[in-house]
Order: sequence, then structure tokens, then C-alpha cells
Amino acid sequence: MSAIKELNTQLEPLVTGNPTFASVTQRISELTEGKQPNKGWWVCFLAALGLLFMMKTLILYLIWEGTGIWGLNNPVGWGWAIVNFVWWVGIGHAGTLISAILFLFRQKWRTSINRFAEAMTIFAVMCALVFPGIHIGRVWVAYWMFPLPNQMQMWPNFRSPLLWDVFAVGTYFTVSCLFWFVGLIPDLATLRDRSTGKIRRFIYGFFAFGWRGGNRQWQHYEKAYLILAGISTPLVLSVHTVVSFDFAVSIVPGWHTTIFPPYFVAGAVFSGFAMVMTLGIIARKIYHLEDFITLRHLETMNKVMLLTGMLVGYAYGCEFFVAAYSGNIYETAIFINRAFGPYAWAYWTMIFCNVVVPQAFWWKKARRCIPWMFVASILINIGMWFERFVITVTSLAQDYLPSSWDYFRPTIFDIGIFVGSFGLFFTFFLLFLRFLPAIAISEVKGVLPQANPHHGGEH
Amino acid sequence: MDYLLESIGLKKPHAGAKGVLAEFDGPGPLLAAARKLHERGFTRYDSHSPFPIHGMDDAMALPPSRLGWVVFLAACLGGGGGLLLEWFVSAVDYPVIISGKPFFSLPAFIPVAFELTILGAAFGAVFGMFAFNQLPRFHHPVFYSDRFGKITDDGFFISIESSDPLFSVTNTPEYLNSIGGKNIELLHPDDEKE
Amino acid sequence: MSSVNKEPESHNPYWRSVNELEGTPEFQRYVEREFPYLDEETATGSVNRRQFLQLMSASMALGGLTACRRPVNHIVPYVRPPEDVIPGVPLYYATTMPFGEEAFGLVVESHEGRPTKIEGNPDHPATLGKSSMQVQASILGLYDPNRSPRTLRGGQPAEWKDFAEALTSLTSGLGETGGDGLAVLSEATSSPTVARLKRAIEQKYPKLRWVAYEALGSENAHEGTALATGTSLRPLPHFDKADTILALDADFLMTEENAIRNSYDFANRRDPDMPANKSTMNRLYVAEPAYTVTGGMADHRLRLKASRIAAVAVAVAKALGVNGVTDLEAPAGELDPVWIENAVEDLRRAGSHGLVVAGRRQPAAVHALVAAINHRLGSIGTAVTYVEPLDTIRSDMKALRDLTADMADKKISTLFILGGNPVYNAPADLDFGKALGEVGFTAHLSELYDATSERCLWHISRTNFLESWGDARALDGTLSLVQPLIAPLHADSHSDLTILNLIATGEEATAHDLVRESWAERFDGAVGFETNWKRLLHDGVLKNSSYRPAQVTISADGIRQAVTTLDLTTNEEAIEVVFGPSTALHDGRFANNGWLQEVPDPITKITWDNAAIVSPTTARKLGAMRKLNKLGELKFDMIDISIGGASLALALYIQPGHADNCISLALGYGRPEAEAVLSVGHGVGFNTYLLRTTDAAHIVPSVEVRKSIGTYELAITQDHHSMEGRPLVREAELTAFKENGKLYPEAHYHEPHQLWEPPVDYSKGYQWGMTIDLNRCTGCSACTIACQSENNIPVIGKTQVGKGREMHWIRVDRYYKGPIEDPQGVVMQPVPCQHCENAPCEQVCPVTATTHDHEGLNTMVYNRCIGTRYCSNNCPYKVRRFNFFNYTKDIPETVQMAMNPDVTVRFRGVMEKCTYCTQRINQARITSKVDGREIRAGDVQTACQQACPVNAISFGNINNEKERVTALKRNPRNYQILQEINTRPRTSYLGRMRNSNEHLAPDDSAANGHEGH
Repeated sequence: MSAIKELNTQLEPLVTGNPTFASVTQRISELTEGKQPNKGWWVCFLAALGLLFMMKTLILYLIWEGTGIWGLNNPVGWGWAIVNFVWWVGIGHAGTLISAILFLFRQKWRTSINRFAEAMTIFAVMCALVFPGIHIGRVWVAYWMFPLPNQMQMWPNFRSPLLWDVFAVGTYFTVSCLFWFVGLIPDLATLRDRSTGKIRRFIYGFFAFGWRGGNRQWQHYEKAYLILAGISTPLVLSVHTVVSFDFAVSIVPGWHTTIFPPYFVAGAVFSGFAMVMTLGIIARKIYHLEDFITLRHLETMNKVMLLTGMLVGYAYGCEFFVAAYSGNIYETAIFINRAFGPYAWAYWTMIFCNVVVPQAFWWKKARRCIPWMFVASILINIGMWFERFVITVTSLAQDYLPSSWDYFRPTIFDIGIFVGSFGLFFTFFLLFLRFLPAIAISEVKGVLPQANPHHGGEH
Repeated sequence: MDYLLESIGLKKPHAGAKGVLAEFDGPGPLLAAARKLHERGFTRYDSHSPFPIHGMDDAMALPPSRLGWVVFLAACLGGGGGLLLEWFVSAVDYPVIISGKPFFSLPAFIPVAFELTILGAAFGAVFGMFAFNQLPRFHHPVFYSDRFGKITDDGFFISIESSDPLFSVTNTPEYLNSIGGKNIELLHPDDEKE
Repeated sequence: MSSVNKEPESHNPYWRSVNELEGTPEFQRYVEREFPYLDEETATGSVNRRQFLQLMSASMALGGLTACRRPVNHIVPYVRPPEDVIPGVPLYYATTMPFGEEAFGLVVESHEGRPTKIEGNPDHPATLGKSSMQVQASILGLYDPNRSPRTLRGGQPAEWKDFAEALTSLTSGLGETGGDGLAVLSEATSSPTVARLKRAIEQKYPKLRWVAYEALGSENAHEGTALATGTSLRPLPHFDKADTILALDADFLMTEENAIRNSYDFANRRDPDMPANKSTMNRLYVAEPAYTVTGGMADHRLRLKASRIAAVAVAVAKALGVNGVTDLEAPAGELDPVWIENAVEDLRRAGSHGLVVAGRRQPAAVHALVAAINHRLGSIGTAVTYVEPLDTIRSDMKALRDLTADMADKKISTLFILGGNPVYNAPADLDFGKALGEVGFTAHLSELYDATSERCLWHISRTNFLESWGDARALDGTLSLVQPLIAPLHADSHSDLTILNLIATGEEATAHDLVRESWAERFDGAVGFETNWKRLLHDGVLKNSSYRPAQVTISADGIRQAVTTLDLTTNEEAIEVVFGPSTALHDGRFANNGWLQEVPDPITKITWDNAAIVSPTTARKLGAMRKLNKLGELKFDMIDISIGGASLALALYIQPGHADNCISLALGYGRPEAEAVLSVGHGVGFNTYLLRTTDAAHIVPSVEVRKSIGTYELAITQDHHSMEGRPLVREAELTAFKENGKLYPEAHYHEPHQLWEPPVDYSKGYQWGMTIDLNRCTGCSACTIACQSENNIPVIGKTQVGKGREMHWIRVDRYYKGPIEDPQGVVMQPVPCQHCENAPCEQVCPVTATTHDHEGLNTMVYNRCIGTRYCSNNCPYKVRRFNFFNYTKDIPETVQMAMNPDVTVRFRGVMEKCTYCTQRINQARITSKVDGREIRAGDVQTACQQACPVNAISFGNINNEKERVTALKRNPRNYQILQEINTRPRTSYLGRMRNSNEHLAPDDSAANGHEGH
């Protein structure tokens, strides 16, 4: 984390264009008010809605016809559904990470991005939650995974990593929502007080819970926020650890490795930041938030991506070394097959996107070049998807008994449902941009120079 | 009990000023004023700001928040309850032979217990905070003021409730004025405004 | 996981796929391909299932058929006669499955009058309680929804009595002319009653022409013995008495006659654990063109064009000094002299226990030589006997040719075709279909309205052997009865006996009476007919009714003449074609049988298809390879084969170990019938009969072949499988093993640390376990079908199999080893659920749908399963099968009658797998409880174990010292696959032994004693 510490030594201001409290309020709040935003928003929104509808339709067909419409076969029991699940959950890590861990590290630069990073987290986890639900053979009894007393007198098996998943991701989703909402309360109050229409006033007013910014409230509020940050940190680490257990706890060669938890968490942060970057750059452009999401923020995130990217790269190498060093023929074979077997094309895509691409961020020029970092962030997201694909599919396709080896081919339904999940994600994300402050107003005010009571007060 | 009913508007608060509200120029003045009020001995007052102000707790000499204990309790409940559930389910009510593992396979039960600990803690923190802050509370004297809307924008206020022993409709506003308060107004319900 | 040391590359003769080994560009493409293809067909998965499990139209009026239809005539239960049928308690009846000249004695399980499962009859010499794929699957033939329900005239519904009248009036007319122009074309049969009726008809119509035709008849053997001995005889090899066996293009373990009995006897002599004084493990030499299961079992295999086998026979005969050959010069062309030399040496050493057998497609002269060789060895009477079959109407292709000629010349006015499908499977040059058109009155008796029926005036629905009375002789002559298990599904179907009797007497009689009639004289009055009859019904077999061995005298001249008929010249470069039976469909008669269509060929692992099988070298010569198209599907090139006028384009499949310049074609595919009358077999595979001629019915020495345009997709269950040097199938050289007790590849196994002991004590109570003896297993796949029949396993069709979703609970893995051009062998490994004590599948199931019971069974709770497929992922043996679709949705009503009521039918979205036949275990448990005793050794037999003709599978309570399995688990050859991951499987394997001739010992360190690592 030293990399992150060192960020603060920069003297560049966190918010540029030396705004006043009022201007901050104005700039951010107006995005959610009036006839805002423009046609562009509607275009994106309808497109997203269309994709969402497509996913819904495909899922209905899936439930009607059976899992067989996917490309799964006997050795490869898990395909795109699980890959997408892990990928989305991974993306869902950045938000809480930025809000919680950076908060604990007193990284003030987080204030400009943590709000929509958290939103992104929640929507990403929603997308993730879709897949474990629909990938099972009998969707209509998915609730058997929960420990509900039932007439069959049966209980779930708490030794199964899948059940751990249910609890881990469930908890993560709940806590993220709480965390997000708590952060929103003062800003909702802002919108409440600015709102003119009766309905707006009522709705925002209701969710603001009658916030009045008294210091006696701030005291508990900050304490709660600190504690939430404190518990979210182990949580965010544990979630992808548990997700990695789905693989690590099994005995499948290439899955059964102790390196998985840290490796998965690093990967999650990696992809999460990439996604924040992608969305951040877009939002920044559309809503002219250059003053709030400054180059400094972007550069800092690039540094984090460089770090995590190299952590992931280290993991790739480490896997190979351990496989070879263990002398375990099944393990060795799997890794040779990954790199040179039928799935080599996927493996090298992954290596290029996740290890090669971020190296550019050694250079300040690249770190501050917006078009490049935009492309890079997207490549990294692709790479991270392929990482999950490589892990999930190659290991299954070529495990212990060569007699069972087979090749997995996705069908239009695998692809359609994955693409559709972006519809779900962006539908919610666009609604969020439309109706909620995309940047934490009160927090940004808190980091303005004049917010410091010893700054002299009058100006 | 009364404030509960008032807060949801079921009980009409007693007639007369509910308190006094004074605006200040910024974090600095507000901090100073708050300190003075404390030294003067006011107890039922509060300093409102759009963002938490560093050092305000000392200025108002607030005792440290007891939220932490609530969270600790909730966390224990979550974790302990989870482990208890797993033990009951796997070893008592429905013991089945799974991969030759013992009925109560503790190592395998840790992840769920851990997650439930976190869940408990989170609920404790959020709802504990609401409780301490008496939220949601939609009706409060400060809302009688029309200027108070600035509080979430760039306004810095001090409010003193009429229930404060040192409160007096005449002296308190003057005092606030003397320590730099502006736009001082007594808080009357809208229907009592003339 | 403890580590397993990997054999150095040079010592690892197993490869993954032809492509990998060669590093073909196709394989590179496979590796480098950018994006896998999108399967546009998935959406229509259900349609595909309908395609082969199509319901017949409602007009079949099957409405009431699921109700019980007990036989009308009185028959006697096999086990013990109950007062009445107890619902839920199956009854067992003995019957017989006639199969050409063969007959398989069966015991059929019947639930409430509904036959559901077929097993061999322990008292019958052809089965000895065992069975084969075809025998197991024949139950499905009974319930075939495509079976013709009624009599048809010119394709239109007609009445049976009209046919009877037409027939009587016709035959009475023929009476004056002595039956001139009357002909009967039947299948080969060994039924005494048919023989009796034949005699009766011949008396009435002296000029009657009676021809029997089997596409895969044994003419050559009969003619050969005639050449050698002067009389046409049938060789009966006794593999239990043979120390050294030389098989000349003879797949006697699977596709030749009497395969079940042969396998049984052969395996008993394959057992290395037999006390040396009793007898030694046999040694098998095989010379053959294409790999067969027999070739797989061989200690020494010579891959050779079928047309060169004759030369080997001559060489061997010469070396052994057979009169009539000694003075001939050695055959031209290079053969492997060392191989032959050692084979001969071993045969000579074995003497009267040496045995030479030749395949049905080898010319008569080879069979003559074989007889002479066996005679020379003195093994006639010990390792082989020659018998003269009685009551047997034998297939005669030449007679068919003459008959067809006469038909074409309108010399035949009346033709009765009893069974068979000559329009489809008669040699193409005869153009039987056309000739049929020239015959005035034609009637075809068959179960399906097939290609022949379409061309006949009358079609009579034929009763299945499980519906009708009859009798048959086994190859060794043993008499047995065919008794019905169920009244005919279609009231309007009739047995051949009825029709023959109608021709003979002009009167109608039931098959039941006709059979009794023919047995009347056989039972002399001593005990009284009824008593004998009842006993016969009960046993199904008439004891001591086998033929007496014939006296064999070999005429040197006969042999000399025979040899002169052989073409011993060689043209190595010419590409030959050999026709052979499909391992599953035989000659095509099982084409509408879903189980047999879907069972993988033991060697090629192709399902739902046949292909032109060639060696890698020949494939390269033809410039045809398997390749992947842009979408990533595995596609196979097509080749054009032209013989005479006919030519056929079919997919090319490369089989390592196949003879060069030789193409093997399986018969029995590409049935021409429309989908409506052949819903399963329609359009499956290529009709190779189109290339077949009477003169070259088996081997075509030289054909025209060229690469054709287009590619073809084959559904192969194991395409790229290598053993990768992993200790899966472990073998050893018998002698070396006796010394060092080592199996190869070696598994370096360290007892892993077990964190905790299971919560139950596996040393108490019943603990079920299984061993599979790889030394006995030939890979015949009878277990797979037996399991499918016992456990209601769905048929899923070519598309689904192509996707790798096959459902078989016990599969047979096949691995090649050695160099691709000339592999050192093929090894087989049946893999059912291993029932691990530390089952990896159990801990990962979130809903406890798969758990362990206190008897060590890994149980699968279908009702609880939600289908995460996590268990399957975590199963290192990949034995779990997932219902990707609702595969049982479209099962026709009749086929539902074949379902085992003791086993549930699984719904879409749930996992399933081998249960160790838990229903049978519980049956035994109930019985033992009723009798107030423990379950005894041998009380429980799994379906696979019961079917296995080589007794490779043993099952039972491993806490019971009396069980065979308990003893075998202590055998030094006993090992568990993937033992090092500490799953503690209950299914273990017995290492495979090779009994190589030290002079021919293969340079194969995986199987002999080199310390090569």
C-alpha cells in the first residue's frame, strides 16, 4: 500500500478551479435537476433497457428449455455463467475498496470518485447475483440454498463453498448498500433543500431522514462511517477470497491452489479500478466534472492498476512455478495446456491485457493520457474476464482422466446473457447518474481548503 | 416520548419559540462560537454545518460516541448465531456423512460465521447511528427557519433549543449576536408566524 | 496431493490424438483458433431429440398397451412358481433369442407381465448367464414404436384372413406343378420346428426353392471345412482349452459367432492368478487389418491387409508341415517372418492346446487350411471340435444369387420372405429390389415395414421373439425353447411358424401348438410329455442335447486344391476394402435401436455413425485428414470409394494400428427406410451395402479411392484421449510382475495425512465395493448397455453426444500406446462411479443432494438436486452425468414399458450417476430380511457385473470374507486410480497382464519391467 501512501505527497489540489461551497453544491446537484440531462442520456438509457430486456427474454428461455442451451458439456460443468459471476463480483470490489480502505488510509483524493464507485459496486454485484441464480439446473428451487426450515426436514450443506458464496456475496451486497446509503444521507438532504417540486422534496426529504447537519449528528455519523469502513475492509477482502474458494477448495488441477485468495482479491481490485476508470472518464466528459475528477485522481488510479496488474502477473508466474515445482503431473499438465493447449488463445489474450498493457503506466505520460488510459481500462476488463475464463474452463476441460477431456464452445445464449447483463448494469447506473449526486458533495466540501476552520474563516 | 410524536408530526409542540437559530460566516467563526456557548454553559445547543468540522467535538466538549459498543455486541450476535446455526443444522438436526468429514466440521464453518459477524456489525453500526442521532426525524424546530435550507449548501448555524435551562427569548439571541451570529431568528412553527 | 512421478517422454508411449502426435497444421489451428464457434443448433436441441425418439402417429393405437399383457399360454416361471404375480416382485422366465444360426438362452425379468430386463441363462451353453450389447438391447426392439402394427397389402391396411385365403388358394394352385415357381427366402435359422415345417412343405412341393440369406453368414467356414474334410462342418473352438491362440482376422471376442461363450472361456484362461499346475495364462496372436477388441487383447498383433491373411495361413501351415502345403513354395510378398516363426513355435509347443481360428470374411480356403492346421496340431477334439449342424438352415449367398436371377427371369411366381431385409442388405450387384418386382405374389414377414416390405405385395407384421413361441439350437446343438414373455403388442402380428404351417397345410395353427408338435416325438413316453415340457419351459434348455463331435479326416488334395484357389500374389500399393459387421448394429437389424446407436464403438468410440476406417499412413496418402473448420467443430474429410459401377462418399476416420492401404467399412448403417418407419435409424451413417458384390462380399482386393469434397461431423465420445503417462490403466509383463510385483506406469503413492476419520465405522455392517479386472476386460461394452437397461438411462442423440453430454453411467475408456503408425496396443478401462469414501463431490454440493450412506455408497438424491454441477466438476473421474434437457420427455409409450420400475426416471436439471445398482442391493436386503438372514455372498449382482461375459467385474460386501470381490481386493494386482488424491475409491482395478513371447517382447517400458525412470 506504500504506493497509495506516496500519492498524498503530491501538492496538486484535490479539486481544481478553486470553487466555493456553494459552487460545489451547484455543480453537482444541478446534474440531477431540471431538464437535465441531454438527449445522450436517453439514447444510452434506452439502449441499456433494450439489452436488459434481451437478457430477461433469454433467461426465460433458459428456464423453459434447460441448461443445455448453453455450451456446457460433461467435463466442463461451469462455463460463462460462473465466469461472468466472478468477473462482475470482481468489478464490484472497487467501490467498497475505494470507500473503505482508502478512507482508512485517509486518502482524501477518494472523495471525488467514491460515490459512483460505490454505486458501480452495487450494480455490479446485482449483475453478479443474477448468474449463480440462473446457472443451476432447476432455477425454481434455488431457494434450497438458504437455510430455511422446510417440510423435507433438510438443511443446506455448510461445507460447500457455494453456500459460503451465498453468505459472502449476500453480506457484501447488503453492507455495500448500507454503506452507500449512509454516505448519501447528507447529500440527499442537500437535494431536499434545493428541490422545488413537492414530489422531489418529499422523496428526497424522506430518504434524507430529516438530516440537519448538527455536529451532535456528525459525531455519530462519522463514527458509524469509520466503523463501516473498518468492517468493510475485511469484508471486501473476504468476499473474493470466498469466491476463490469455489475453485481453491475443489480438487480440480489448476483450481486447487492456496494462492487463489490473494490472487483473486488483487484481480478484483484490478478489474474494479479499470471499470471505475472507464465509467469515470465517461461521466467526467459528459458532465464536465474535470474539476472534481482531476488528472490527479486518474493518475493515482492508474498507479493502483499498475500495482495490482503486477500482483496478478506475479500470480500467473507463481502458479506455473508451483505447478512445476510440485512435480504433480496433473497440475503441471494443466498449466502447460493453458499456455500451449487448445485454449492458448484465451490464455495469451489474458496475459497481454492484464500484464503487458498496464506496464505502460510506468510512464507519467501514459498515466495522464486520457484516451490511452480509457483504452487500457477496457482492455484490462477484457483481460480479467479471460482470466476467469481460463481458470474456469481450461481446468475443467482437461483434468485427471484424459478420456473425459473435451472442448467447450459457447452458444449464442452464453454470449447473449452476458451482453444482456451490461443492460442491467447500465440501466441502474444511468438512473443513478440521473437522480443521485454522482459525487459526494459534503465530502468534497470537507476537503476544500476553506473547510479547515483554521484556514482563516473569512474570505 | 413527546419528541417522538413531534418528530413525526403527530403531536403539536407547545406554543412559543422552540429555540433560536443564528448563522455564522464559516467553519472558523462557527467553531469559536460553539466553544463560547459551551464555556457559557449551554447544554441543549448544536452547531450545524454542511460537512463535519474538524475540532468541533472538542469545542462542544462532546463525550466520545458509544456506537462502538453497540457494533461489538451486534457482531458477536451475528458470528455466534451463525456458528450456532451451523452446528445445529449439521451436527444435531440433519447429520449426514459428507466426504468422510465429521458432522461438525469447524474449519468449513468459519467462512459463513465470519460473514455473519460482518453483517451483524454493519447493521449495528448503521441502525445504532440512527438511534443515537434520533433519525429519522422529519420534524424539528430548526426546520421552521426558511434560511436553514442553506445548511446543506454553504450555511453554518448554531441552534439553541428553548428547553435549554439558560435559554431566554430575549437574552440568548443577543448573546448569539455578540459572538458573531447573523440573521438571528426565533424558531416558531409556521402557523404561529405573524 | 502426493506427487506422481511422470515417465520421461521416451517412456510414455501414450498419446492424446493423432493430431497432437503429428503436430498437424490442423492441430495448430485448433490451438491457435481465435474464437470458438457458436452453436446455432442448441436452440433446436429438443427437436433433435424428437428426431430419434419420435412418437408414432396416434393411429398406432397403442392406447391400452401399457396395461399388462400376460401371455395367454401357460408358461412356467424360472425361479419359483408363485401362487400369483405379486405386484412389485419381478418374475423371471427362461427363453431364447434366435440370432441367425445362433441362439442365446436368456432369462428375462418381467414386472407385472411386462418384460423389462434381459440376462443370459446360466444353463445355456451360448450365454452361461452372460450377455452382449445386442442381447441386452433386444428388449428395446420388442417395444420399438416403429413396429408394424398390422397386415398390409400393397401398403394399404388389409386383413390377415384375406392373406390366409389368398395364400391357400395360391398354394393349392401350385400343388399340381409340385410347387414350381414357389420360393421361400428366410434368415438362417436353427429352429427344429422350422426345419420340420420345411420338410413338410418340401414333401408337398418338391420343386420348392428354399434359400436362407444372412448378410454376415458363415458360408466360408462351411465351404472351407467341406474342402478340407469332404463334409461341411461347423468349427466350435474351445478357448478354455487353448494355451496358444492364433486368430486370423477373427474377432472371436465380439463380432464373430458365439462371441459371448468365446469371451467367457478365453477370459478364464487369461487369469494370471490360476495355480500354475492347473493351467497357464494363454497367449494370443492376432493378425488382422482393423483394430478389434480381440486385437486389443492380443499379446502379439500383426496388422495386415485382410487379403494377406491367407498368406499367413499358408506360411503357418507350411511351417507346421501340413500335408498338401509343404510342397508349395512360400507365398510371395514380405510378411513378418519373426512374428510367424514365433507364433508357429508357440503353437507347436502348445500342440493339442494350440488353436487357430479364422474370421467369417476370410475365403473358404483359409478355413480349410485352419482345419488342417488344427488337425496337424492335434487340437481337434481338445481345443476345437467340428460338428455337423442339424435342423439348421444356413445362409447361402450363391443360392440367393441364383434365386434372384430366376426371379428376374420371372421363373419365380410366389415368394415368401420370412424376416430379413434383402432389399437393403443383399449384395448390390444382384439388385434384389428390381428382381422382386418381377415376382407375382410376394409376401414379407417383418417387424418393421422396411425397404423389403415396401416392395412386396403383402406385408405381415412379425412377432418379436419375446412375444412368440419357438425353439432353436445353439451352435453346439443344445436345444432350447423360445417362450413368449408377453402377448403380441400388436394383435395382428404373426410368427413365421404360423405362416410356414399355412403354406404346408393350408390351415392356421398357433406357434405354441406347432412347437409342441415338433417336440412331441423328441420326448418319449417314459416320463410323459407334459412333465418334460414343463421342465423344458422352466430350464429353457434341454440338457445334453448338443451335437456329437464329427470325425475329421483332412484330405491333402482338398487342401492343395483349396490353396490353389487362393490369390497369394501381393500388391502392397493397391488399396483394399474389407466389409465387417458394425460392433453395435451387426448387419443393420438393430438400426432402430437407440441404445445400440448410441453406444460408442469399442475402438473408434464413434456413435451414431460408421466411417471409412484407415491407418494414418493411408489417410495421408489419400490427402484426407480430420480438421477443424473455422467454427472449431471437429470435421472429418469425406472420401469417394468406387467398386465396379457403384461408388459411395463417406467420412474418413483415422485409426492407429490399422493396416495400411486398407479401408474397413462397417455394414448395417444408412438404412434407406423413411423416418416414419425407422424413426431412430433413419439417415444414420452410410449404406456400405451399396458397394458390396456377391463375388467380393467381404474383401475387395483393389478399389478406386479419392478424396471427396465436403466434410462430415462424427459424434465421438473419446476423441483426444491420452494416458499422458498417468497411472490409470496399469499393466505389467506377467513374468516380470511375478518377480517384482510392479505395475506400470508406476504410481508413487504416499499415504496422505487424513485430517479426521469418517463419522461412521466402515469396518462394520455391509460395505459395498467393486473390482474391475482389466486383464479380463475386452471393452465389449455389454456393461454399458446392461446399465442403460437397468437404470433407465435416456438416449440423447447424435447432436447431444457430439456436444459431449453422453449419459452412460459406466463408460469404457480406450487408450492407445506406442508409436502412432504401429501402436503396441489398445487398453480398455470401464469407469463407473468409484464411490469414494472421501467423495469430493459430496462436500461441494450446497444442498446436500449427494451424500454418503453408512454402507459406503455415494448416494445421489435426485429430488434434492438443484443442478449446480459442482459435484461433476469436482469428480476426478468425471463419472457424473447431467440432464441438460428433459431427455425423457419424448419417450414413446411403448418404450416406457421397457423402463425398470425400481429405478426413477430423472428430470431435466439434475445430476445422475452410477448407484452400484442400489435397487438391487435393497432387493437383496428385503429378501434377506424376509428370510431372516444376512445378505449372503453373491446375493447382489450389479447389472454390469451380471452382463459382463468375461467376469471382469466383481461386486459385493467387502466385509464379507466369502465374497469374490473381498479376495480380489487383496490381490497384488489390485490398485485404485488416482489413489494419490486420497479419495479412497470403493471401486478398484486389477492390473492388466501381458503374456508376451520373449522373442517378440515389445520395446514398451510402460508394460514390461524396465526401470526406465
